[in-house]
Amino acid sequence: MSLEGWVPDVGPYLTLAEVVEFAFDYRGNTTIVKTDGSEVVGYIFNRSTYGPEPFLEYFEEGGEGPFTLRYAEIANVKFSGKDPAAGNSWKAWLERKEREKAEKAAAAGSVRDPGPHRG
Amino acid sequence: MSVPLSQMWTVATYVLRQKLAGRKRYPFVLMLEPLFRCNLACAGCGKIQYPAQILRKNLSVEKCLAAVEECGAPMVSIPGGEPLMYPEIDRLVAELVNRKKYVYLCTNAILLKEELGRFEPSKYLSFSVHMDGLREEHDEAVCRDGVYDQAVPAIREAVARGFRVTTNSTLFDGASPLRMREFFDEMMDLGVEGMMISPGYSYSKAPDQEHFLLQSRTHDLFSRMLSKPKKRWRFNQSPLFLRFLMGKHDFECTPWGNPTYNMFGWQRPCYLLQEGYARTFQELMDTTPWENYGKKSGNEKCRDCMVHCGYEATAVDYTFSSVKGFVETVGVTLTGRL
Repeated sequence: MSLEGWVPDVGPYLTLAEVVEFAFDYRGNTTIVKTDGSEVVGYIFNRSTYGPEPFLEYFEEGGEGPFTLRYAEIANVKFSGKDPAAGNSWKAWLERKEREKAEKAAAAGSVRDPGPHRG
Repeated sequence: MSVPLSQMWTVATYVLRQKLAGRKRYPFVLMLEPLFRCNLACAGCGKIQYPAQILRKNLSVEKCLAAVEECGAPMVSIPGGEPLMYPEIDRLVAELVNRKKYVYLCTNAILLKEELGRFEPSKYLSFSVHMDGLREEHDEAVCRDGVYDQAVPAIREAVARGFRVTTNSTLFDGASPLRMREFFDEMMDLGVEGMMISPGYSYSKAPDQEHFLLQSRTHDLFSRMLSKPKKRWRFNQSPLFLRFLMGKHDFECTPWGNPTYNMFGWQRPCYLLQEGYARTFQELMDTTPWENYGKKSGNEKCRDCMVHCGYEATAVDYTFSSVKGFVETVGVTLTGRL
């Protein structure tokens, strides 16, 4: 299941640290909503909850970075970007191969089966 | 077995130096990923699923070389992505060869023929061509028809020009031992120096999640595939690792054996798992909770893993840690009996 499109409801039942953990595992871009209300779009590639100041690291959508952001500066993370790990290419390949196999089998069947005997 | 003597000597003296220095954990092969772009999207690969800005990026040659120096491993494997799509791959390889690092450039060989002119043959450079079996199996594994038929002439050309060429094959559930034995014959006919084989790993991001091998199936598959190995088959890997795959050894993982460096930093804990990044190699070694990884740890992600990047280092270390290990390795190498 992909988290693509998810806007977490950070609160008593879902902490920001948990959301960041999901975002770290997500292979698409996210929108980081800062506590001052501003937003930045980028790929979160690392996070650290060790030490007194937990932080995450990201590359911006334009490629700039890496940048570091403290959890204290973040209000939420939205899963706004397309999930490239959603497996569509594999599914498309399988479907195409199955279609080709079926077409080949149908073609072979029509050669082998000349129709009703007319002798 | 087909690892050249000079390479064996380099690895052996390196391991002995580590042991004499009393180092408990040391790297064997640096996995250097200068980019994530690839011209294929293989079903079992979990390495390339990133947004566009990440796929466009390249590590600089200088950063790559700094990582190589920092790590100190005698061998450098360059996977990716497809390394031949890295704009400065020729300069990177030349610099590594100058430093007398044994380089395995892992490629799907689609671009190999046209890019060969950028490289000089050297005992330090080997093209490690991704070949997951004969034509049908390989094209299916890489999700594109015709790739096998592109790779074969490229291998021939590289061999003819005097390059070292090895193959690397990842096997999944459903692989046929008989077809793989035919594949070994075919690769030997092509003149490759040696083959590397390994079961695949269940990357959580890989598109195909259904065909990864469980441990018992791995033992069965490799036992059947490697039983009574032909004398002409040469494998470019530790014979004890192959015996491990056949269920004749019970090794524990060495997750620090093949540390991974890419544009995100030093990957924790290993080439396969992606649980965060350290900024320096030393930080990776000092702060990763290694006890949480490997079969004994009970970590579910490690349960069925038998991949070479975790266990080949164990096999090599075992060879040089005891007389028994050394004798066994020499015996298997000389007799070819796995």
